Amino acid sequence: MIGRIVDHAAPAERLAALRIVVGVFVVVYLVGRSPVFLALADRPTDDFDPVGLLVPFAAAPGGAIVITALVVTLAAGIAATIGYRYRPAAMVFAGGLSFLTTLRSSWGQLLHFENLMVLQLVVLACAPASDVWSLDARRSTRTGRPGPIEPSTRYGWPLAVASLVMVITYVIAGAAKLRYGGIDWLDGETLRNHVAYSAARLDLIGGNPPLLAELVVEHAWILAPAAFVAVAIELAAPIVFIGPRWRNSWVAAAWLMHVGILATMSVGFPSPLFGVAFAPLFPLERFVRSTRRWIERRRPFRSVAAS
Amino acid sequence: MTGEDGWVDLARTRRLAVTTAVVALLVAPVVVNTDGWFPLSTYPMYSSTRGVETTFVTAQGLTGDGNQRDLTPSLIGGSDDPLLVVGELRAVLAAGRGDERCAEIASRVSSRDDYGDVTAIEVVAERHDNVARTRGDDDSLVNREVRARCEVER
Repeated sequence: MIGRIVDHAAPAERLAALRIVVGVFVVVYLVGRSPVFLALADRPTDDFDPVGLLVPFAAAPGGAIVITALVVTLAAGIAATIGYRYRPAAMVFAGGLSFLTTLRSSWGQLLHFENLMVLQLVVLACAPASDVWSLDARRSTRTGRPGPIEPSTRYGWPLAVASLVMVITYVIAGAAKLRYGGIDWLDGETLRNHVAYSAARLDLIGGNPPLLAELVVEHAWILAPAAFVAVAIELAAPIVFIGPRWRNSWVAAAWLMHVGILATMSVGFPSPLFGVAFAPLFPLERFVRSTRRWIERRRPFRSVAAS
Repeated sequence: MTGEDGWVDLARTRRLAVTTAVVALLVAPVVVNTDGWFPLSTYPMYSSTRGVETTFVTAQGLTGDGNQRDLTPSLIGGSDDPLLVVGELRAVLAAGRGDERCAEIASRVSSRDDYGDVTAIEVVAERHDNVARTRGDDDSLVNREVRARCEVER
């Protein structure tokens, strides 16, 4: 398996497509969650319970720093996504996202659905993801610098590392259930209690209860096989490296698992639910080329139809 | 080695070393058993065994005739994200600032015409049978403790 990772070759377009997919997703995520990040500026500093890189800091950063960080991260995110001055932009983008999400996690509530997104963005920021399909590439073409376009490990290895990060994340999550919950986690009762806990918590805080919580708590027999399948999916994540069929099957299973978690517990993991967490596994450039061909095929038809 | 465009094109042994380092970094919190190294984590969400009963902290409105009225996450915590609101309220109570938070909630409620019947706020710790509550049973409440109470001034 290690050979598949360190020797993984891919075209430059694949890494560039991942840059665009992850960049668009994170920028939209930041915009959508901006009220949450901006609200951090108003939180009482007494509640500050730093994690990660913020541990050395005794006090929370001021409001001006939070607002500046959000604006700069968004600007860097847009620049990195379109591949403008990619290297510094991507570093600032990843650094800014790390800062904002670490800060959001530093108030006694770890949500865990931002970890993978941050880690994959850090990997991407260390990769030459703007050699094609970017403003940087256009500029270097104009100045006569040829862009490297042959498939190579230069582009494939970062994709494999981003995939590996995703795989290890799932394996750790699966192992945690057996480590902390023990074999009892698989009997379905624990999962039923988690589902009921999530529903009761939302109900008491005035939120909307999960769509299927009542149904699965009423028919709790379904939760024993569901618990087993959930742990099996997480622990089986490394099979994505075996081949395309294994990869597709696992990604479909993992995605359905997240849909199930959302429907029964109202806990949404945005990056996997939108497929972004799994994107490094796929030849994204083929989707882009197919879409381009589809658009080009429709253009003459449209012009004929219009005339 | 560094390419002419500034990106580092690593030899196989170095790619292997970096990959190994990435794996070690990701696994390190598991070995140390800490969840405080964000974005690295042991991913313990929903991994522990959980009983049927749980104590929740929340805030409720009280109407003039003494009935309870549910509030929204944005009224309780100034955010639409229930998980954040719960976590923050728990931290506030742990820090002994329940009265302060109660006053903030009362202030938000006082500015809402659709909550005009709410005359007081109670920040409470309620213990529920979660399975019973999810099934819609009325008798899920096991215990209720008022941590802070304040009036809504209009």
